[in-house]
Amino acid sequence: MSAADHGRRSLLWPVLLVSLLALAPLLALAWNALVSGALQGVSLGSEGRLQVGNTLALVIGEGLLGGVVGTAIGWLTALCSFPGRRALRIAQLLPMAIPAYLQAASLIDWGSRAGWRIHGLGWAIALLALANYTYVFFLSHETFAASGRRLLEASRSLGVGPWRSFVRVALPLALPAIGAGVALSAMEVVNELGAVRLLGVPSLSAGILDRWQAEGDAPGAALLALAALAIVAVLVAGERLLRRRSRRWNLTGGAPQGPLWHLQGWRAGVAMLITALPPLLALLIPSLWLSTGWESLRDQDGGELIALTLRSLGLALAATVLTLAAALVLAVVRRWSPRPLVQQFSVLAGLGYAVPGSVLALGLLILGGPVGLGPVLLLLWGYGDRFMAVAKQGLDAAFERLPPSIDEAAISLGCNWRGVLRRVHLPLQRGPLLVGGLLVFVDVVKELPLTLSLRPFDFDTLAVRVFQYASDERLGAAMTPALLIMLLGLMASAALIPSLDRR
Amino acid sequence: MIRLAASTTLAALLLGVAAPIAALAQEVRVYSGRHYNSDNALYERFTKATGIKVRLLESNDSAIVERLRSEGKNSSADVLILVDAARLANATEMGLFQPVGSAELMRDVPLSLRDPNGRWFGLTRRVRAFVVNPKLVNPASLKTYADLAKPALKGKLCLRNRSSVYNQSLVADQLILRGEPATRSWIRGMVANLADEVYTSDTVLARDVARGSCGVGVINSYYVARMLSGQNGAADKALAQKVRIVYPNPAHVNVSGAGVTRHASNRSEAIRLIEFLTSPTAAEGFAQSGFEYPLKGFGNNPILKRFGTFKADGVSAAQLGAKAKAAIKLMADNGWQ
Repeated sequence: MSAADHGRRSLLWPVLLVSLLALAPLLALAWNALVSGALQGVSLGSEGRLQVGNTLALVIGEGLLGGVVGTAIGWLTALCSFPGRRALRIAQLLPMAIPAYLQAASLIDWGSRAGWRIHGLGWAIALLALANYTYVFFLSHETFAASGRRLLEASRSLGVGPWRSFVRVALPLALPAIGAGVALSAMEVVNELGAVRLLGVPSLSAGILDRWQAEGDAPGAALLALAALAIVAVLVAGERLLRRRSRRWNLTGGAPQGPLWHLQGWRAGVAMLITALPPLLALLIPSLWLSTGWESLRDQDGGELIALTLRSLGLALAATVLTLAAALVLAVVRRWSPRPLVQQFSVLAGLGYAVPGSVLALGLLILGGPVGLGPVLLLLWGYGDRFMAVAKQGLDAAFERLPPSIDEAAISLGCNWRGVLRRVHLPLQRGPLLVGGLLVFVDVVKELPLTLSLRPFDFDTLAVRVFQYASDERLGAAMTPALLIMLLGLMASAALIPSLDRR
Repeated sequence: MIRLAASTTLAALLLGVAAPIAALAQEVRVYSGRHYNSDNALYERFTKATGIKVRLLESNDSAIVERLRSEGKNSSADVLILVDAARLANATEMGLFQPVGSAELMRDVPLSLRDPNGRWFGLTRRVRAFVVNPKLVNPASLKTYADLAKPALKGKLCLRNRSSVYNQSLVADQLILRGEPATRSWIRGMVANLADEVYTSDTVLARDVARGSCGVGVINSYYVARMLSGQNGAADKALAQKVRIVYPNPAHVNVSGAGVTRHASNRSEAIRLIEFLTSPTAAEGFAQSGFEYPLKGFGNNPILKRFGTFKADGVSAAQLGAKAKAAIKLMADNGWQ
């Protein structure tokens, strides 16, 4: 292995570079908070405690609800066959592709027109679970599909029924991926600003911004940000523990063969209902709104809509490629380098996801503003930083399923590290790369705070336009760009999901 | 993958470099915290009249201020437009504007609606008004903001949340006019009167007043004007016809305003744009599209005429800016969520 080690040492530098790029905005913020005021005498206060409590409640509530829904749908669509399975699998992207703040605004406005007040924690948990269960779905589905069938076939031949095979075989197998998905969705919840604020839930993300920008209390904001980071650290640690406990290697070279559970009669009906419910709910909210608010729909300039769409698409494609490349570097080096330093850096590089987008934007402005870095570059840097974890979580979980012996075999057959990457890892990790790319793509298309703060002149995107209309309480005008965001997500989903079957 | 990443980075670099080169034509670059679509028609009229192209970046106020501040000399923005007097005053204090001397601006913008040193100029006025359901609360019983704390309104008052910048400025305004002890007990009285948890949107609040869940609320009048115009549909129009807009006397008047940025590279174009936006013709445009009040008088909009007139309380933006943080703290400490 020593000759191979020699070649791999050069990989240390990309990891350091990627990690430093990811950490730089956070360090700039910390420095800014330190020099702008002494940290002594800062306390959470009753307000801060309320915000911590609410964020914890959101994380736990959403994690449980989204975890159960995502895992159930992941299992059903990966390992059971029932009418409409393929279409329903693609449709799972819909709930994620509709920005949560638009869902909240439409629901609140519709309720208000109908005479109901939609407000508070319960609604926030339900809406966030709907918007974020997709992470759990995709990661667990990928694992179930990749490694579940053969084991299930074995368990079936031993006389285990579908339900028990789910609990005893599939679930333990997929725990790392489910954990990764729940951790991702929970981090998204820690960061959620618009929807939570509209529903009147005082959360950490809003508290950080308010303390910083409205109250000018940078140290207080830093303290709240630390609380948010602590929640995320617990999530990541929990997810790693889960993963270590269930480390299993299996090689998934060929096509996933073996039978699916054929569901018939009422069972197939229940499976269809469970699988169809979240996408239907996600569509139901804007539809409900349309049923009462259609009169305020406005004609839109078609040329402008096309320009908005092209900008969203271009930004998302560029950001997806960059983020995937960086995440791949991190994941591969993490696998090959036993050095604890590398391992730690690779974890730190995902921290950008734990910071509210608007705060990350401030950090990037502090770094990029004074040197006049182009806004598009700064924006792509921000996207990469923010969504690195999304691409990386799935990859890390997938690399852990891949036995190290396969690398050793390739090396003993004369491959250098580039060869192993190109000929072994990339083909085998196509599934997680596709899923990671899809999630990053959709995340970038609907991303708001970074885009709003960092974009160049005359460079609005679909998400920006949705926000501008929705925050001005003009939902009718927000619906068309929102529909285009959904379409972009669906197109990406339809293009990538079916290819998960072809390995 | 890595080659693709490299070429993407290169493309992005080129985009970043190409942007300044394209900036040779006569143009003015605007950072704006105002909402989209009310202003675009005005910018188009300006370009038609002067040949100066308007390049726009709209965002929320605090993000745009942070951006301008961190870009410093590198910023390509020529004009900064912000909503809310306290924010304008804070941006002035941060040194984001430069002083401008223009006879036209001095003539068109009343002294109380601009910075005395010419660093920013008001564009529009909006009034923090009462929206009243006459079946539950007698509109004549509400004369000043202080009346909202009267025990007679227990269980009838609806407010927006603390993070609404208009509420923050209203409290700063009261702090200046009535001092801290009176303002504190006023806030406590209002919190005790609340009919429901604080609202996060003015339109939702106005509907609840119309339906009778609240007797009175505090909002910017243009949301009700928009409902009355039918923009939100027939149901909202019918609801809005059930409420009255009452302007307290004196009223807290807030502004949106614009100034030339300190490092503007198109200074004269920037001044021309602000002169255009503050001219009496533009004032009509603002009032028509967003139901805001022009800088002078009350406009010709029939819906705004229905609301009647108001008398401003004369508190200056600089005063509001100085009290903004104290106002937020007072709200938080006394239970205004």
